[in-house]
Parts: sequence; C-alpha cells; structure tokens
Amino acid sequence: MSEASGAGPLIQVENITRVFHVGGEEVRALRGVSFGINRGEWVAIIGQSGSGKSTMMNVLGCLDTPSSGRYMLNGKDVSRMSDDELAVIRNVEIGFIFQTFQLLPRETALANVELPLVYRGLGTRERRERAKAALDKVQLTHRMHHRPNELSGGQRQRVAIARALVSEPSMLLADEPTGNLDSATGEEIVRLFEQLHQAGHTLVLVTHEPKLAARCPRAIRLSDGEIVADGDGRTVAMGTATDVLNAGGA
Amino acid sequence: MRAFLDNLRLALSTFLGNPLRSLLTLLGIVIGVATVITMMGLIEGLRIKVNNDLGRMGAHTFQVTKWPAGGFGRVNWAKYSKRKDFEMLDARAIEESCPSVGTVVPTDDDGGQKLVTASSETRPSVRVFGTPANYPLVSGVSVQAGRYFNEVEALDGRHVVLLGTDVSDALFPGMNPVGHEVRIKGRPFRVIGLLQKRGSILGMFSLDNQVMIPLSVFHQLYGKKRSVDISVQAKSPELFAKAQDEVASLMRRRRDVPATLPNDFELHTNESVTASFNQLSGVITIAGVGVCLLSLVVGGIGILNIMLVSVMERTREIGVRKALGARKRRILGQFATEAVLLSLMGGAMGLGLGFGLVFLGKWMMGFPMQVPPWAVGLALFMSCGVGLLFGIYPAARAAKLDPVEAMRAD
Repeated sequence: MSEASGAGPLIQVENITRVFHVGGEEVRALRGVSFGINRGEWVAIIGQSGSGKSTMMNVLGCLDTPSSGRYMLNGKDVSRMSDDELAVIRNVEIGFIFQTFQLLPRETALANVELPLVYRGLGTRERRERAKAALDKVQLTHRMHHRPNELSGGQRQRVAIARALVSEPSMLLADEPTGNLDSATGEEIVRLFEQLHQAGHTLVLVTHEPKLAARCPRAIRLSDGEIVADGDGRTVAMGTATDVLNAGGA
Repeated sequence: MRAFLDNLRLALSTFLGNPLRSLLTLLGIVIGVATVITMMGLIEGLRIKVNNDLGRMGAHTFQVTKWPAGGFGRVNWAKYSKRKDFEMLDARAIEESCPSVGTVVPTDDDGGQKLVTASSETRPSVRVFGTPANYPLVSGVSVQAGRYFNEVEALDGRHVVLLGTDVSDALFPGMNPVGHEVRIKGRPFRVIGLLQKRGSILGMFSLDNQVMIPLSVFHQLYGKKRSVDISVQAKSPELFAKAQDEVASLMRRRRDVPATLPNDFELHTNESVTASFNQLSGVITIAGVGVCLLSLVVGGIGILNIMLVSVMERTREIGVRKALGARKRRILGQFATEAVLLSLMGGAMGLGLGFGLVFLGKWMMGFPMQVPPWAVGLALFMSCGVGLLFGIYPAARAAKLDPVEAMRAD
C-alpha cells in the first residue's frame, strides 16, 4: 500500500536509545540499537524480561518515541513525531497483535475488527465489508456477531489478527501472540503467521520464547538494551536456549 | 460529521449498556430541568393571568390615586398613606377644568366586610366598592343578571347592591340573587344585579368576592374622611396622553406640589399596572433561573462523577483505541459527546417530567400555568452546557492517557 518508499528497508532503526527516569534514577532500556527490516521479512525480537524488548516493541509500534537516534518507518522519520501524528502512523502503518488480545469487550468481533477503519474515517459500509473480508482471512466469519467473551482464546487472537490485517498496514507487530494460549492453539496461530508471511506480509514478533523465535527466518536478540545477536532465527533462538540452560545449571 | 455519528452511536451504546446507572446519574439534571419548566410555567402562567386580570380599566381610561400600582413588591405603605387624600371635589375639578377628559368616576372601596342574609352569611372578606352609576363605562365590570344601579338610585342613596359571583354563591347557592335582600354593616340592601365572573389575581385574590353599592351609600357606611380613587376616561383615544397631562398638572396645583418635587399621587393606566407587575415577575423569573441553575450544577456534578468513573473503567478501552489510531481530539470528542448526550437525555426527561407537573398543576389544581417556549430552549441549552462543562475534564483526562500504560490497566 505504500509504493512511494518501496526502495529502502521498511524499517530502519539507527542508534536508538530510550532512557526512563524512575524516581530520580536513570534507566537505560535501549542503549543504541540499530537494525533494518525489509518488506516481507518475518523477524522475531527475542530477549528475557528486562532486555529492552518491550521498549523496543513500543518504539517500533510508535507507541513510544526514542530518547535519541532515528527510526524510519516506510520512508518516514517517526522518531520525532507528535502524539497525534504517531496515532495516524499507527493507524496506517501498523497492525498490532497483543498478548492479551486487547479486544473491546462490549463490541462484537466484527465491530472490533472495524475499529482501525473507524479512526481512518471510512464509511460504515466500507468498514463492514473490509472487516468481513479480514475475518474471512482468519476463518471467523461465522463468529463475527459474537462478543469476545463468547469466543475461545484462539478465536479471540484470530479476531485480533483480523483487526491488525484490516487496515492493510505495512507491518504486523505481534507482542507475545501465543503467550496466553495453550500450545495447540498457539501452534494454530503460528501457522496463521506462516501463511501471512507467505502471502507477503511483513511480520515483527516480540517474544521471550525461543521455540517461537526458532520458527522465524530471522531473529534479533536483545540483552540489557543492546543487540547481542542478529541472524537466522533457529541459530539465534537456540543460543538463547543454551544461555537459559547455562543459567539454570549454575 | 462521520466521527460525530460514530461518537453518538458509542455514547448511546454506553448509555444502554448501563441504563440504571445512567438514569440515577441523570436524576440531578432531570430534577433541575423539571424545576426550570415547572417554575417558568408557573411564573409565565401567573404573568399572563395577572396581565389579563389587571387590565381591568376600560378603554383609554386611567386612574388617579394615592396608592402605588398593584401594590406588588416592597412598598413603603407609610409613605403613601401620609399623602393627602383625594376628595370628591378633586373629581369635580377634573371634570370641570380638563378639556380632554370625558368621564370622571370617583370610587372608593374597603375590604373585610361580611354580608348576611336571614339564612346564611359570607366570610368577613368581601370587598365593598362604592361607585357612581357610570362606573361600568370606565371599568372591566359588567353585569351578568339584573342591572347596574342608575343615576337616580346613586344620587338618592338607595340601598341597592350588585353581587360578585363568589358572594352570590355563598349567600344564594344555585339561585339568581336578584330581588333578594342582604345586609351590609347591619343595613338591608336589595340585590339588583349579579356581576360577570372575573376570576382572580395570582389564583388567590378573587375579583369576584366583591359587591358594588352607590358611592353615596358607601360614604354613609364608611364615612367621608377617606381618599377616593378617580377613574378618568379621555374623550378619545387620541386625547389619552393629553388628558393625563391635564389631570396631573391640575392635581399638582390643587395639592400644592412645588415644581421641584415629583407628583405626590399616582396615575395608573392598564399598561403601568401590568408593567409594575411584570417588573416583579421579571425579578422572580431571574431568581427562579438562578435556583434552577444551582440544581443543574448539582446535576452536573453527577455527570462529572459518572464520567470520571467511566473513564477509569474504560482505561483499557481508551488505550486500545489510541493504539489503533484514535487521536486525542477523537477520544475527547467521544467522552464529551457521551457527557452531553447523557445530560441531554436528562434534559429531555426533565422536560417530560416538568410538562407532566405543569399539566397536573393546571388541570388538577387549577394553577394558571403556561410554559414559555424559551424555557424549553433554555432548559435544553443549559443541560447541554452542563454536560459539556462537567464532561470536558474527564474527557480531557481520557484523551491524555498514554496508550501503553492504559492497555496495561485491568
């Protein structure tokens, strides 16, 4: 949907830092992170809690801005934008998939999927049609008039994925998407991601699960706010597994 | 426009999602608006009624008296009672030396009289009017049955009387009183007429609880050392203002008012009497609006409270909406719309309740009530304003929420 910037990488992060001030203390969540992600890539960002991956996720999702450094998303420098400008970027460029689904409990599946289009200012009919099409992609059209509490965990996450897809964003940003699901349902969701990847979507998946990261063609490993590994998903993820094993053995 | 419709739909679904809570929240606004409507209905009704009641003088007629118009509001009675009395001679002087004046009718009246017949009596509250025979010319009084007394009866001092309908109902229930005898101050009077019903001022002071007797007889009963009221009719409508000028300057001369001082008497026209009441009713209206504003503020605090709760409960929802691309203004609009819709609904319910009360008051209790259209507009406008005023702070709080933080809330 964004042809103008087809040339360079979709995401270009240059020397990004993020410093929080907590009770007079300085917490450096990101200490100069640089990487690029091309269109159509499926990348896992992996790290333990405290590694800075949540901060990275917020920055990549334009929910937060870096303290320094530059973040180019789809040809636009989003690192210095105002809150309202970022809201537009989130609406147009990013499809969020959250661990806790973050569906509106009082709305039907269909209305939930329509939500990003509401904020894009589309008319009711177009919203409805596009939302139905998105629900069809996750095979949930038969449940579209149900509310989230009438859906299973896997179905909820599929509604959330449909919501992420409906605005045809340039990237899908998933935060521990299988974290609240049993392994069978989680596998179902991962398969869905594989399909989306094959269909050409750009996927960024933030997780602490090595198994999940190993399924991705590429993984970036964060530790203490810095990149410690960037490469083939299986290799980077296994490295994590080894570290965990070592830590457990010590 | 589309955003507004979406906000409206959202606000509506919130309202329907929790109707009892919304209703309880709205109670303040409902009561406030109902109060506005009922009070304004009562005040306006009274105003219209009184204006009709007070406009009781005949065409191009004014009244010369020492008392202030209507006697509404705070009146320094001591100041007025010290004024020099008007006498019959004053009336004659006007008749003789004011060229623009047509008819001059001196009258006098006294309240608190009891009328009795052989078998029944009135309460001691009847107002007795002493008038010449031509009084109907200059007043709103007309005769329903029988006749007014004539010139001969008036000059002769015959003991004849016309009864107001209240008096007639008390003494001769269901009967034509004409031809019967009543006693006033122990003297026998023959009833020669029944006056047309005129209703009451403010629904309290009946204009039918009175009787008319010849002025000469009135002076026999009550003495002559009293101030008469002089009704003056101009020769034509064109001479109305001129006649007032002539009478005023004549009276100033006769009463020795120095040129530097204002009149020590009053000239009342229908307009001046109703104007003095309207001035009073204006003050009541303003006071009423003030009281209602106060109750609307109480209602507004209810809105403020519920909106703060609503924002807190829906922190997560707000976070999700912002993450998915809702701008601050949009969130602000959503919650402001909700607050305004909420209080408008309260306003509409208050209107319903208010009109219900007005209906009850009018048809069941007989109060003269009429809701002025501007009160409906004012009530809706004020409830709208209250919603906006008290909804904007919670809405601003919602708009300022950080999406990441908000989505983490439980």
